[in-house]
Amino acid sequence: MSPTHKFMKPISLQIALVCAALLAGALRAAPMEGFVVIANKDVPAASLSAAALKDIYTGKTAYWEGGQSVAIVLMADGNDAALKEASGMDASQFRTFWQRLVFSGRGQLPKKAEDAASLVALVAATRGAIALAPAEAALDGVKTIEIK
Amino acid sequence: MKNKLNMRWTLVLLLTPLAAITAGPLEAADLNLLGSNGPPVDFHGFASQGFLASTSYNYLGDTTRGSFKFTEAGLNATVDPLPRTRISAQAFTFDVGQAGDYDVVLDYAQVQYTFTEWLGIRAGRIRRPEGIFNEVQDLDMAYPWVVVPQGVCNSRWRDMYLSVDGGELFGTIPMKTAGSLSYELYYGFQRPQLDGGFAIQKENLPPDLKVAWINSPLLGGGQLWWNAPWNGLRAGVALNVDQDLTFVNVEGRRSDGSPFTQRYSLEYFWKSWTFQAEYFTSRVLYQNTGGGAPDSVKLIDPDGWFASATYRFNKWFETGAYYTEYYPDKHDRNGAALAAHSDGYQKDAALALEFDAASWWTFKIEGHHINGTGQLFDNTDNPARGGNGWWMLGVKTTLSF
Repeated sequence: MSPTHKFMKPISLQIALVCAALLAGALRAAPMEGFVVIANKDVPAASLSAAALKDIYTGKTAYWEGGQSVAIVLMADGNDAALKEASGMDASQFRTFWQRLVFSGRGQLPKKAEDAASLVALVAATRGAIALAPAEAALDGVKTIEIK
Repeated sequence: MKNKLNMRWTLVLLLTPLAAITAGPLEAADLNLLGSNGPPVDFHGFASQGFLASTSYNYLGDTTRGSFKFTEAGLNATVDPLPRTRISAQAFTFDVGQAGDYDVVLDYAQVQYTFTEWLGIRAGRIRRPEGIFNEVQDLDMAYPWVVVPQGVCNSRWRDMYLSVDGGELFGTIPMKTAGSLSYELYYGFQRPQLDGGFAIQKENLPPDLKVAWINSPLLGGGQLWWNAPWNGLRAGVALNVDQDLTFVNVEGRRSDGSPFTQRYSLEYFWKSWTFQAEYFTSRVLYQNTGGGAPDSVKLIDPDGWFASATYRFNKWFETGAYYTEYYPDKHDRNGAALAAHSDGYQKDAALALEFDAASWWTFKIEGHHINGTGQLFDNTDNPARGGNGWWMLGVKTTLSF
């Protein structure tokens, strides 16, 4: 074996590095298509990472910076794909997950709105509120949160 | 008996309109009890009524004749009065076979302060985190089963298992690409009752083991969950130890021991599937003294496990199956040392179907095939026990808001 060979990465290590890079890419959340993240104007955050958004939707982050409690608002139907992307759970799993938190004293149940207009109105009226809104909805009285 | 029937119907009549009124927009359960500028008080509640029928043995009630003694109801309130501060409490009542008897108990009543995502403190009567089911076994909506896997979560031991009076630290520690670690570390008093599951189990043993007094032992423990970086997978370990659990039987014989329990859990959400599995083992060496008998020691060393898979077809239907085993003494899995060998194990295969008529109204039906009699409890009602398999049917409906 020539002296240069000991500085070359073995082929198995190279394959592992490629796989790790692909996995890291797969783990990074894709931007939400057709939905925007909106929040009450009092919410201090202007942007969130996908991981921080997931922490909110899985109850791990319960307060905004400053101490205001996070209030998740859901649309009754039609945002399952966005919810799955934000939380990693489908609508049924998400409901069960939050019921488990609420009835063991560890969280507050997300509020529910019937349609996009009432979702936006509820977020505008609720301190600390955050929601996934259809991109085409009129976003009056709320702020949008950039997902990085 | 008539009073208990009335209690059942009172719960249903009270909660049905409440659930129907608040079921649409859930914020209807928010009340501004602290003034229009104050924080809203968030109310939620549930009521479940079940029916169990079995062949061969009475299990979780007089089930060979069919039993409606399978009722649970709870009402909770939560308010955030100050930044990062939350106060919550839940009243709960249940009746399962000989346990519960509709006594209303304070399930939890706690104040918590969250310093940061990775550190919070909670004090008061707190729910005891232990595995997948312990915190939520009251909550029928949290799983598709009529009867949760009894190999790891005995429905009649709520007084021992559900809560402690004390405090805990909690939080989630981010670990970048390795996911995150959620922890809860608690310490406090358990409040076992003379009419609770632990004492009732002893009551069904020979007469000299009937419990006349039981203490409120200190319990310390923790639950750790690793949340994997990819969606839906978490793995947990829970450990706890009692500091001197003591009870005295009707003949004045005293038993002292410090049970040490370990529990290992796995949960994975994948598409419309949910997979869960758990193993637990507990060990206690009781020192028995007094009561006119020679001093002795007795090792209690049970274990149990379960594995399940559920699949949700759509917003209305979910189906699932589990298999669970329980061994009162893991060193004698065939019950060779017992008069009825089948008392040394219980193996339960269940198949369930859930129908969600509305987000606030659920129906479930479940069939069980059970081998063994290791968890019957009601052995005075089951004087002849053997190893043949037997069947159980469970039906349950739940209202929640």
